[in-house]
Parts: sequence; C-alpha cells; structure tokens
Amino acid sequence: MPRSILWGFVLRTFLWLGPCFALWYAVARHHARLAGWLAHHFVDIFKPGIVTAVEQPLLDLLFVTTIKVHPTPAQTALLLPEVNPLLYTYGLAFFLALMLAAHAGGWVTWRSTGWKKVLLGATLLLPFQAWGIAFDVLVQVGVKFGPEVSAQAGLFGWRIDAIALGYQIGNLIFPTLIPVVMWALLNRTFIERCRTAPNDKG
Amino acid sequence: MIRFFVLFVIILVALFAAELTPPVQNALVLPWTEALARISAAIVTLFDARVIAYGKILQSTANGFAVSIEAGCNGIEAAIILIAAMLAFPAPWKHKLIGVAAGLFAVQLLNIVRVISLFYLGQWNMKAFEWSHLYLWQALIMLDVLVVWLVWMRTLPRPVALSSPPSPPAPPAPPSAATHAA
Repeated sequence: MPRSILWGFVLRTFLWLGPCFALWYAVARHHARLAGWLAHHFVDIFKPGIVTAVEQPLLDLLFVTTIKVHPTPAQTALLLPEVNPLLYTYGLAFFLALMLAAHAGGWVTWRSTGWKKVLLGATLLLPFQAWGIAFDVLVQVGVKFGPEVSAQAGLFGWRIDAIALGYQIGNLIFPTLIPVVMWALLNRTFIERCRTAPNDKG
Repeated sequence: MIRFFVLFVIILVALFAAELTPPVQNALVLPWTEALARISAAIVTLFDARVIAYGKILQSTANGFAVSIEAGCNGIEAAIILIAAMLAFPAPWKHKLIGVAAGLFAVQLLNIVRVISLFYLGQWNMKAFEWSHLYLWQALIMLDVLVVWLVWMRTLPRPVALSSPPSPPAPPAPPSAATHAA
C-alpha cells in the first residue's frame, strides 16, 4: 500500500484525537479557569464594569455581573450568566493531536523543541478561546435575557451588532480554525514537505 | 505568507459576514440546510425506511427521535474556510475553481456522514451524541478541510526554475589552498 507523508499524518491525527480529547478533558477545569480569567478582561474591554468576578463551582464558568434582575416582584438578584467553557476550548485537543501527528523527529527533538511549540500554540489559543467565552456572556446579557437586561448593561445599537458577529465568530469559526492556523504556523516545514514530497515516500 | 494570511482573513470575514445576512440565509443557507436533511433522509432510507425529513429536521418515525440541522452543522462554515484558503493561496484561477468545487463536494460529503452518524448516535446514547456533536465531529470536519487544502496544494503546478547561462569555469585555486585540500 503506498504511503505518503500526508496520509500518514491523517492516520496519526485520527489515532491521537482520542488520547488528546481525554487529556484535554482531564485538565479542562484548570484550563477553563485561565480562559475565563482572560474572558473577564475581554468583557471589561468591550463594556467596562458589568462583570465583577468569575466563579467556577464545577466545570462551568459563572460570571458575576452588576445587573439586577427580579425573579419575583419582591426579589432582587444579580444576574449570573453561565458558560460551558468546553464549547470554546476543545480546540486544544485538536491542536495537540495535529502537533503530535506532524511530529516525526522522535523523542529527542520532541524534548528539545516539540513541547515548546505545543506550549506556545496552547498559549496562543487562549485569547481566541477567551473571545468565545466573553461573547457568550455578552450575547446572554445583550440579547438572550431581553431588552430590560441589555438596557441596564448599556448594550444597544452597534454594540448589539458587534456582539452578534463576535459571538458567531467565537462559536462557529475560532474553535476549530485557530488550532489549524496555529498548527500551520508552527509546522511550515512539514506543510512544505506535504506539498512537494512524492506519494510513495513514507 | 503574509499576503496569503491577510487575504485569507479578509475573504473569510467577508464571506462569513455575508453568510449571516438575511438575504444569504434565505437564498442559500436555509435551502441548502433543508436539502441536506432531504439528502441525508434519502441515503438513510436505503437501509432504514422509518426516517423522514421535513424542513431542516431528520426524524425517525419508529421512536420520534429527531435532529435539527443548525448553523455550524450544515458544513457552510467549513466550506467558507476552505474557499477562503484556496482563493487566498497564489495559484492559477482554473486550479482555484476546480479546487473549490471538489473541496466543497468533499466537505459536504463528510458532513452528510456526520449528520447520519449523529442521527443514529442520538438514538443510541445522548452522552455520545453530545460529545460527537459538540467536539469530535467539529474537529473531524476541520481536519477534512485541512486535508483537502493540502491535497489541493499538491496538485498545483510547481514554479519553473529560470534557466541561466552556464557559469564560467572557476579560476584555479591558489597553490596554498590546493595543498591544504589535498
């Protein structure tokens, strides 16, 4: 059966996806805390003062806001939008699988440079994951909880349009595209080899 | 590299913003999503007659389980990424157009596999459905996009090296160097 760099890479990515998803899920809580911390800052940049803290009772992130809601006419409570961080951070597993699949230099090169590239890529993924989480919070406050909440947060006009676009990008594009972009930036030599190598070389 | 990246981002944002507008949703996205449900149902009924499609919903008449094909599951975002990557890459237009057509076919083909597999996974186990739907299949579809793009790049004509006149023979090495080399 003819082997090629490309098809070997695809097969290795398939094989690595399972263990990488398992590893990502094992560290997801801690990883999400980092992304949530960064997301808090992103929300602050977009609309300062509406989020005061981020809590994480279990896996989901709870954003404590200054927005008051009335569950019943006699009750007043603070709005706590909740975000499932896994929806925005699973690209870490995908990125790791791609990096491991493209790595062909053995343990020695992995120890010297491979893990540094993975660490760099994982760090660079964080702002994009935080983007998704931040816009999930903003779309809840600005759109999903209704006009009373969005008015209290001071979100209307162009900000609502920006939130809608930012949410769609953070939800549909970033989680899968950015890991591939990071992988491509860190593996340009491998891509060039894929492009130019003949099909019958392993 | 920088030119490719800037062009890629511009085309990606333009196509994605266009996709979100009501005219494109009504003229392209919704009809395609409904067609996807019908195509999936047509394939499934080859081995399971108890399946119907209406709108963008695929439903089992045996147990009532249904999946609704929503944004992110119709393969359009993956297609947009692939189109942006191919259009931004320096290549002859003929290759770009063939690549886009073949690439869209490959992405949508795998997306039909995704829809059908999720339809049956959901009837078997909701936890498996959630994981596959939200995480695993998203990565696999993007892997498909990446592979199609890499395969397409392999089909592009290689740049031809410019031929140059033969260089004049090198002058004889100085005696000291010749002695050293020997």
